[in-house]
This record gives sequence, structure tokens and C-alpha cells, in this order.
Amino acid sequence: MKNKFQLKYKTRRKLNGFLYVLPFLIGFFLCFAIPLFNTVMYSFNKVSVNDAGGMNFTFTGVQNYIDLFTTELTSERQPMIRLFTDQNITILINIPLIVIFSLFMALLANLKFKGRGIVRVIYFLPIIFGIEVVTNMLAITTGGEWTKQSSGLFSQSYISVLLMQYTNIPNNILIPVISYVDKIFDVLSQSGVQTLIYLAGLQSISPSLYEVAKIEGATTYETFWKVTIPSIMHITLFVAIYTAVDQFLTSPISEEAYSFAFEHSKIGTGSALSVVYILNVLLVLGLLMLILRKVVKRYEK
Amino acid sequence: MKSKPSSYSPGLAAYLFKKKMQKIVQSIFLFCIIIGLCFTILYPIIQLVPSVFSKVEDLGNPNVIWLPMHFSIISFKAAIRFCMPEGIMTMVKSILYAAGIMLIQLFFSAMAGYALARVKFYGHRLVFFLVILVFLIPRQSLLLAQYIYFTHFNAFGLLKLFTAAGEVNLINKPFTLVMIAVLGFGVQQSLFIFIFSQFFKNIPNELEEAALIDGCGFHKTYFKIMIPNAIPAISTVAILSFVWNYGDTYYTRYFNKDGPYLSSILATKFADNNKDLVLNAVKVWFNVPLANDFAFDAIKQAAVLIFLIPLLLVYFGAQKWLVENLENSGLVG
Repeated sequence: MKNKFQLKYKTRRKLNGFLYVLPFLIGFFLCFAIPLFNTVMYSFNKVSVNDAGGMNFTFTGVQNYIDLFTTELTSERQPMIRLFTDQNITILINIPLIVIFSLFMALLANLKFKGRGIVRVIYFLPIIFGIEVVTNMLAITTGGEWTKQSSGLFSQSYISVLLMQYTNIPNNILIPVISYVDKIFDVLSQSGVQTLIYLAGLQSISPSLYEVAKIEGATTYETFWKVTIPSIMHITLFVAIYTAVDQFLTSPISEEAYSFAFEHSKIGTGSALSVVYILNVLLVLGLLMLILRKVVKRYEK
Repeated sequence: MKSKPSSYSPGLAAYLFKKKMQKIVQSIFLFCIIIGLCFTILYPIIQLVPSVFSKVEDLGNPNVIWLPMHFSIISFKAAIRFCMPEGIMTMVKSILYAAGIMLIQLFFSAMAGYALARVKFYGHRLVFFLVILVFLIPRQSLLLAQYIYFTHFNAFGLLKLFTAAGEVNLINKPFTLVMIAVLGFGVQQSLFIFIFSQFFKNIPNELEEAALIDGCGFHKTYFKIMIPNAIPAISTVAILSFVWNYGDTYYTRYFNKDGPYLSSILATKFADNNKDLVLNAVKVWFNVPLANDFAFDAIKQAAVLIFLIPLLLVYFGAQKWLVENLENSGLVG
């Protein structure tokens, strides 16, 4: 009797649990699976709209993909392949910069000093300032092109001129470094959530570990590498993936599919672009995960 | 410890002095870095001050660096006239929209997160994998197909039972945005589900068992025991969700283009190709024939500042919550 009741309870629990995720599952099919399937389907067809408002499909194989990379241009009159390589390179450079910077900021925000509250408030402001509308609107239009007012701050400053002209550092090392320093506003404006995650991780490290390190006579430097870094390594994986996803979300590639479909009414080509884009994202994320898994494992030993 | 410094031997005194100096240098160094980073974060906003508050004729004057020559709030007036067709109501409406969607997102993602973390129903691993997959794939890549699907929405063919046509056009209806949020596909909602599931995983089993022994059913356990314990996760998700929904231009612009959302109004009104329109209007409204590109930027930036006010208020009100509850907010799995 008892056994029967328990089984019943367990199945009921499972059913209830299933009920709780049901909205997501329905949404998955309506907003994700069907559109994904349709995107793949459109990308292999020539799609045209008929008079009744419905759509006609003619199967063209991989013609859309070939068109995409040979004849089609982006809205800025560049070949597609160029846009993809540019974006991937920017994103791959930005990921480590953002991860390291947010870790750095979290470490600073975790220190104990007077006025820490105010500093923390300011450090998390990028969550707000990093919204796409805000960053787009802060860009100025003067001079006919979109530039961020703050972007040239360091490269036009006296320090960089001094470095360029009066030191013997070769220019081909100096120029990339200066351009990375210039990016600091961009990097900081996108590191709000990452700093939050890192700070949460730092706060969850048990203080007794630090006590032990202190008693054993470890210096601050050693403590950082032997205690702090290993304990937040698994968070780094999450932060890096979040950063990559976030970077791809705001990349201009995604606007292109829209412009193909709605401005040039080439639904097939736009869908092909979307498919390539998805594959690109998954490839980069897979690569990132592969590399970071190895690093994390080494630290967790 | 330092009651009698005179009794120290000279070697110890030198050592202590060195230590002290080291500490001072270190803290000065740290102070500089911390202040520098604060400045870097605030700089994009601080640098708006001179252009936003100066007269339209003074804009672009190279002599003006930090203090405007003639103080005026014309840019703000123009921005308000452009972005808020219904005055303050536009802002209230978009705040209400963001808050409403936030509540829906909280409710449904907390439920899904709880079920994924605590209930071992068949295929819970698969569903969890699907959540991650949705998070990883950028939403814009599916926009096209989603848009087309929503214009002829048939809900697995179920709508045939209710309407003659068997499909409805969901585009440009406020209902669509609510539906998307209910179905778990609002702004970054899969991330929220993930955060909640990470959080609920760490709640001790005993709580649930005690509730069961005391005679709570599944739903009662969830609403009476789990939800009150989930305040840290809820506050984190709530803040992120509100900020992102208020600033969202993706869903609002594509699925409800004509809605009263401040973010999408900003994005469309101040698009680059609208520049001449804005400038001409400003020239007529405020009688400033000299308005140029700089004026466009100033108005745009004034609009951003207005747009940011509610966000900053919410942020400063809630930041204490956000930071204090961090370590058990489920962000760290």
C-alpha cells in the first residue's frame, strides 16, 4: 500500500515538474525549432511571394550559399567573407580582453577599503551603459561617419605621441597596443554582467582558504595564483561563453540578414546568411569550450 | 602592539618603516587604478555635459571643452518633443511594459528553473540542453523565419479550431511580446532559466522533505518554501530583466513596431538617415537656423540622458540588493 502511494507521488511530482517547463517547451517549438527548420529550408530554396500573399519555393540547392559569398555585398559594400573574418577576429580579440578586465574589476571591487560601496555602484554601471541603444546613441555622427567620441582618446593623446616619436619601440608593436588601449571604453562598457558574475564567484570563496594561505606564509601574489584563480576557474568558462554569446548578439552580421530579407526581399539569401552565422557561432563557441576545458582541468587537479 | 615604539631595536624600526611605506605606496597605486577605472566608466556620460547643455549656436566651438558658454536646455526640450509624443506618459508606458515583462519572465523562468533543477522528470537533461542551446544561438539569426512564421501564426494548426482562417498575424501587436515572454523566449530568458536552475540546485533537500512531511503539495512547496528562499536569485534576475527589457530594441522594433516603447522610438527617430528631418524640425521649432550636425548629436545625447533616468533610479535603488545577495544568487554554478 505504502509502496503504491510512493510511486504515485513520484509520478505526480514528475508530471508537475513537466508542467512547469511546459511553457518553455511549447515556446521552444514555436519560437525556435520551427523557425530554425524554416530558416534551413528557405536557405536551400528560391523564395518568392505570390499574389495571394503566400510563398513560392523553388529548390535551388546550395545556390544561395554560393551567391552569398560570390556576388552579394553587405550594406557597406564589402564582400561577405570580409565581414565574417573581420567580425570573428574582433570578437576573438575582445573575449580575452573583456574576461581579464572584468576579473580585474571584480578583484578591485572585492577589496576592503573606504568608499567601496560607491566604487561598486560605479563598476556595475556598464550593465546599464552597455545596452545597445545607449552605446549606439552615444556614438556621434559628425563628419559623416559613425565614430565613438571616446574611441580616439588614447591614440590622440600626448602619451601615445610621445611613445611613438621618442622611444625606440618599433611601430608595428606599438600601434596594435595603442589601438587596444583605445578600445578600453568599449571593453569596459561590455563587462558589466561579467564583473557581477566574477564578484559573486569571489565572494563565494571560503575565507578559511585565505587564512590557511596566510598561516602557511604565502605572499599575496602566491595566494592569488594558488587560491583565487583555481577557485574561480570554472566561472571563467561561463564568463567566456557568456561574453562570446553577447559579442555575437551585438555584431553587425545579424543586421545583414534583416536587410537582405526586408530591404532587398531576398529571403533565401538572408536565410543562408543566418545558417552560416549560426554555424559560425557554434564553431567559435565549441573552440572556446575546447580550449577552456583543458585549462580548467589543469587547474582543478 | 605599538604602545612603546621607542623600545624597538633600530633594525625592527627600519623594517616596520619599510612595511609602512610599502603599504602606503600600494594603497596610492590601488587608489589610482580604482579612480581611473571609475573615470573610464563614467567618461562617456561626463563628456556629454558640455554639448548637451550649451546653446545650439555654440556647438562645435573648439574653445568649449568642459563648461558650456551659454547655458541652455534647448537640446532637452527638442529631445522630449521628438521622443515622447505623449509627454511623460510615453516613459511611464515603457517602464510599465518593462516591469510587466519582467514579472512574466521571473514567474515563468523561476518555474522552469525549479523543475529543471529539482524534479527528475523524463528528459530533464534534454530540456536543460535545449535551454543552453537557445542561449547559445543568437536570436537575430532566426528573426527572419520567426517573423514570417508569426505573420501566419497557426500554433501547430490548433487555431483552426477557433478561427476560420486557421492563422493570425501576430506582428505589431503588444500581445506578441507578452506571448514570447510567457513561452520563455523574451530577452535573454534562457539565461534566467539557467540562473534559477543553478540557484535551486544548491537549496538543501531537507527543506523540501520537511515541507512534504508537513503536508505541502508540489505547488505549495514551490510557492511557500522555494520562492521565499529564492530572493537573492529573484532580485538579480529582476534587475537584469528590467534593465534589458527597458533597453530592448530587438523585440519591440520587430514585433511591435508602433508600440510606445522609448527604446525603439529612440532607435528609429535618431537613426542616421533621419538626421536632416530632425535638424529641419529643430530649426523651425526653436528658431535656430544654424543648427548643424553637432546639434543633432546634442539632441540625441540629451535623449539618451532622459532615457537613462528611470534606469539609474532603479539601479541606485536596487544596487544594495544586487551586491549583497550576489554570492548565493545562482550566478555561480
